[in-house]
Order: sequence, then C-alpha cells, then structure tokens
Amino acid sequence: MSENATPVLRLKEATIKFGGLIAVNCVSFDLMKGDLFGLIGPNGAGKTTCFNLVTGLYPPTSGSIEFMGRDISGMASAKIAKLGICRTFQNIRLFKALSAVENVMVAAYLRHRTGLGSGLGLLPSAIRETKELRRQALELLDVVGLSDVAEERSGDLAYGRQRRLEIARAMATQPELLLLDEPAAGMNPNEKVDLQQTVRRIRDDFDKTVLLIEHDMRFVMGLCERIVVLDHGEEIAQGPPDAIRNDPKVIEAYLGAAV
Amino acid sequence: MRFWLVRLASVAVVLVGCFLLQQWAAASLTPYLQSLVFLAGGYVALAVSLNLINGITGQFSIGHAAFYMIGAYTTAFLTATFFKAQPLDSTAWVVLMVVAGSVVAGIAGLVVGLPSLRLRGDYLAIVTLGFGEIIRIVVQNVKALGGSFGIDCRVEPAPPSIMLMWLLAILTIAICRNLLKSAHGLPFLAVREDEIASSAMGVQVTKVKVTAFVVGSMLAGAAGAIYAPFQVFITPLNFDMYQSFIVLTMVVMGGTGSVTGSAIAGLLLYLLPEYLRLMKQPGTSKAISIGGPAVAAGLVGVIVLVWLLRVVQAKVVGSKWQRWAGNLGALAATALLVYLGSLALHGVPFLRSRNYTMAELRMAIFALVLIALMLLRPAGIMGHHEFSWDGIGKRLRRRTSGAKA
Repeated sequence: MSENATPVLRLKEATIKFGGLIAVNCVSFDLMKGDLFGLIGPNGAGKTTCFNLVTGLYPPTSGSIEFMGRDISGMASAKIAKLGICRTFQNIRLFKALSAVENVMVAAYLRHRTGLGSGLGLLPSAIRETKELRRQALELLDVVGLSDVAEERSGDLAYGRQRRLEIARAMATQPELLLLDEPAAGMNPNEKVDLQQTVRRIRDDFDKTVLLIEHDMRFVMGLCERIVVLDHGEEIAQGPPDAIRNDPKVIEAYLGAAV
Repeated sequence: MRFWLVRLASVAVVLVGCFLLQQWAAASLTPYLQSLVFLAGGYVALAVSLNLINGITGQFSIGHAAFYMIGAYTTAFLTATFFKAQPLDSTAWVVLMVVAGSVVAGIAGLVVGLPSLRLRGDYLAIVTLGFGEIIRIVVQNVKALGGSFGIDCRVEPAPPSIMLMWLLAILTIAICRNLLKSAHGLPFLAVREDEIASSAMGVQVTKVKVTAFVVGSMLAGAAGAIYAPFQVFITPLNFDMYQSFIVLTMVVMGGTGSVTGSAIAGLLLYLLPEYLRLMKQPGTSKAISIGGPAVAAGLVGVIVLVWLLRVVQAKVVGSKWQRWAGNLGALAATALLVYLGSLALHGVPFLRSRNYTMAELRMAIFALVLIALMLLRPAGIMGHHEFSWDGIGKRLRRRTSGAKA
C-alpha cells in the first residue's frame, strides 16, 4: 500500500461508555495527510470525548483508533504524543506559573536527546540543547504572534493569547496530526480571522494534518474542507461544508425538528 | 575547555571551603556549636531535597524523616557490624556509607513512590505520613537495630562530618539548580502545574514523579548516613514526626519550588530556636528573662502587629518608601502598645509573679514567627524566585537608573 493511501487517523466504530452513558457511539472517519478537518455538533455531542479517545486520556470501550496505520487504542497519552498526535484543550490547560516560552519548551523537550544526568550535572551538551529548545520555542511563538510576551508568565496572558500559546505548545511536539479543541472560543471576530490564517499556515507551511472542534459555524465553514457532525455521541453527517450546511439531520440537531 | 576550567575551579572552591569550615569548627568551636554548624548543613540538605519533591515536582510528601532515618540506620547497622573488621579509614568509611545509605533510601523511595505516585492528589501525603511512622515503629521493635534503646555507631577517629555534610548540602543545591537551569527540569515543573496537559505534551508523568521522589529520598538518605556517625548514638526518637514537619515547614516558608528559599529557610528555621535556646541559664550574659506582664503584652502585640501590617499592605498604595513608612509606623505603634500594655498588666498579680527565660519561650516565639511569616508572605520568603547574580545586577541597575530619572 502506498503511503498516500494510509489515512493519518482512522476511527473504526470507536465507542466509549461511562457506566450507562454512551458518550461516543460507533464513530468512524478517516483523515488523510494534509486534511483540514472539522468536528462539530451541539453541546454534549461527544466531540471532546473523541479527542480524549484519540489522545489516550481514555481507552475506547470498543472499536479501534489507528494512527498512520498503527493501532493506538488504549495507548498511554505520552506515547501517543511521541508518535505524533498533539492537542490543545478546550478549557485552557497551560503551565500557568511558567513563562510562555517555557510552556513551549516543555513540549519541545519531547524530542530531547541528552540524558537527565547531563542536566543534573549541567554539562555542555545539556546547555546546548536547552538553548536549541529555546530557539525552537521562540520560532513557534513567532508563528502564532507571541514573541513579545515570550518571557511573561503564561497564566497572566490575555485569553486569546493563551489559546494561541496552546497551539504553539502543541506544535512544538512536532506532531503529524494536530487536534485543536475550540481554538476560537472567546476570541473576537478579528482574532478569529487571524486564527484562521494561522491554522491554514500550520497546514500549508508546516505540512500538518489538522482536526478541529469549533462551535463558530462561520469559522468552521470558512476553514475546514471536510466536516463530521456528531450528536448524542453518534455520527449524523460527514462531508464538505456545503453538504453539511444543507443536511436536514444537521439542521434538526442544531435547531430542532420542523413541527 | 573554558567550561571545564570553570567547573573544575568551582568544585575546588567548594571542596576547599568545606575543608576550611571543618578545620575552623574543630579547632575553635565548642562541641555544641559544632553540632549547630553540622545540623544547619543537614537541614539545608533535607529542605532542598524535599523541595525537589514538594516544590519543584508538586508532590506533597510529608515523610522525609523516614528516608533520613533509613540512611542513618543503614549506616549505623553496617558500622556496628563491620567497621572494626575492615581496613578503611573513617572518612572513606563514611563516604562508603553515604553511598549505601542513599541507595537503600532510594530503594525505599521507589517502593513507596511507585504505587502512590500513580495516583493524583493527596494520596502521597497520607502514604508518606504513614510510612514515616511505620519505619520508626518497626525500628523501635527490631532488636538487631537496637530497638527503642538505640544503636551505637561510633566511627573512630571521628570523621570530618561537618565537611561531608556541607558538601552534601552544596551538592543537593547544585543538583536542583542545574535541573532548573537545563531543559531537563521543565517536565518536573510541568507535572507540578498540570498533569493532564503534561502527558498530552509527551511527559511521562509517573516516571517524572518517581524520579523526583527517588532522587529526593536518596539525598535525604545520604544526609542520614553522615548524621549517624556524627551523633555516635542514634535512637528512633531522633527521627520522629517533628523532623518531617519541620523540614516541610522549611520548604513552605522558603517558597515552594525555590531552591534558594529552601536553603535559606533551612538555615533560619533550624538556627532560630537554637539561638533562643542559647539564652537559657539565668545569670549568664546571654540569658534574657522576661516578666509575665511583658510576655502577655507581647503576645497580644504580635497579633496586633500582624494585623496592622496587613492593613498597611492592603491600604497603602504608593511608592516603596510610603509603604515602608507605613510598616515602620505599624511597628512603632505596636511597640508603644506593648510597653503601655505591660505597664498596665503589672496590676495583675497572677502575671507579675511570673518570670520567663527566652529558652522557655523559644517554641512560642518560633511559632509566632512562622504564623507572622505565613500571613505576611504567603508565598514564602523567596516566592517562586531564585537567587542569581544576574537578578541582583538587574535590580541594582534598575535602582541606579531610577535614581537618575
């Protein structure tokens, strides 16, 4: 099989139950290399749970998740990150007491080569690597437009900036697949336009595959090339934005059935 | 090349410094003062190593004395059993014991940490608290370790314990500082801040926590291994819960996560009660005795002072000088109040007939200092900050440029 044909991410009837509640029920979709893919649905539809499944926070109850043809269901989060999937969080989870650049460096550290011993002894190799990680982190902060606040405590940054910092941090793990959980939440219209450009740039210039959750329809429709719609944990539609917009099931899920 | 020269030079300076400290203490200090110098180094090592677990990695451990004890008893047992029958001199023997003590303490740390560090939250606190008590009670009941009577671990001739303990303290500080200066420290800080986000960024959370815990335990074990031969005779009571809590207090007071803070607090909180203890025998020049009325007024005064200082903190906004003036004002007002109060309280016969020495009051004063510090500087002496020459330079430059403007 050629590499083009292997999907970056494949969910095969992925299901997770919490007690009696089926949070995600038999969801299947494929992401190909370079996709800009949207995951939408009303509140409580199971979108974030889907992310949690893919990033190994929960193992799926049944079904499977494959990354680049490799089964990752039930694998530990850290290992999945190392393989090349990284995410941002809907309710921002920065390392608040650390500076912006340190936040990004934590993620970049994933690709470190020197051992802990060289760090404890502060050997030249560890110093060099620390400088190199800092340089990479500053570059990424530049991509998301945060160079000016690199040394500031991340918990003190404005909300929109914290969201962008989360993206830079996820990018620093050098992922193949980037999962963005409501990246535009709480942003004003100008910031949203900026963010759309940033996300597009990440896909085009950095050659990543992007899966994003978003509530702002204009944002999703304007950005994503394909969209999956979830409702009550079930997949109700899949396709390009135009088809989704006119799909009666989607309209019903969002606005309620016609009387 | 330059790097290695600097590194070599700093190691040489530390070695020579500790050696001179040992020579000076042995030549010109009384045994009691020698033990002060020795234990001050010990508490610095303990506080900084606990800070690695509690402050830097954010895992709330309250059984540090257990690992200190394991190191000490490993040394004591081996010394009592083998010292006379082997050819090493006492310094080499103690160095060997440091290795043995830290390895055994590290293994104990692994056994305790591996299951409890997989969990989040307060479980570690409960487990370590229990572990500290269990170890102590087990030792109390094992005949081979001397039971509650204690164990003799004399190493003759006396090893240069002060030098070794301060070397350990400096090594502990160096390890923590280097960790924070290199990128290798970032996963530890990240785990403290947010475990879920850490694991999503590829940090192996349990591995990081266990590493911090084991390294911290090993350093405490090493401190114990140096402590035992210096003390000559150790009993389980040397390692009771008070030890764990005083070390924990040092970490919190110093500012959790700050290596400098832990080191300073380790020194201060150990030496303060000991200094007050010095003022004991009535009649000697150091003895200060205080009448009952003054003690009562002083107690009230401390509460008033803390309250006034907090009012100043909250209400006085303005330049640094204005705030300092406010603080001084609060201090002066309190002093006046205490003076007048003690005069007034002389009328109470119950108080007038009492007299206290500083040594008697030392734990009360210690407690008041702690309470005042926590109220006025909740983040600790250093907060999250570290001492650095760059930082001092920056501060000085800012001050001079501010003066010009």
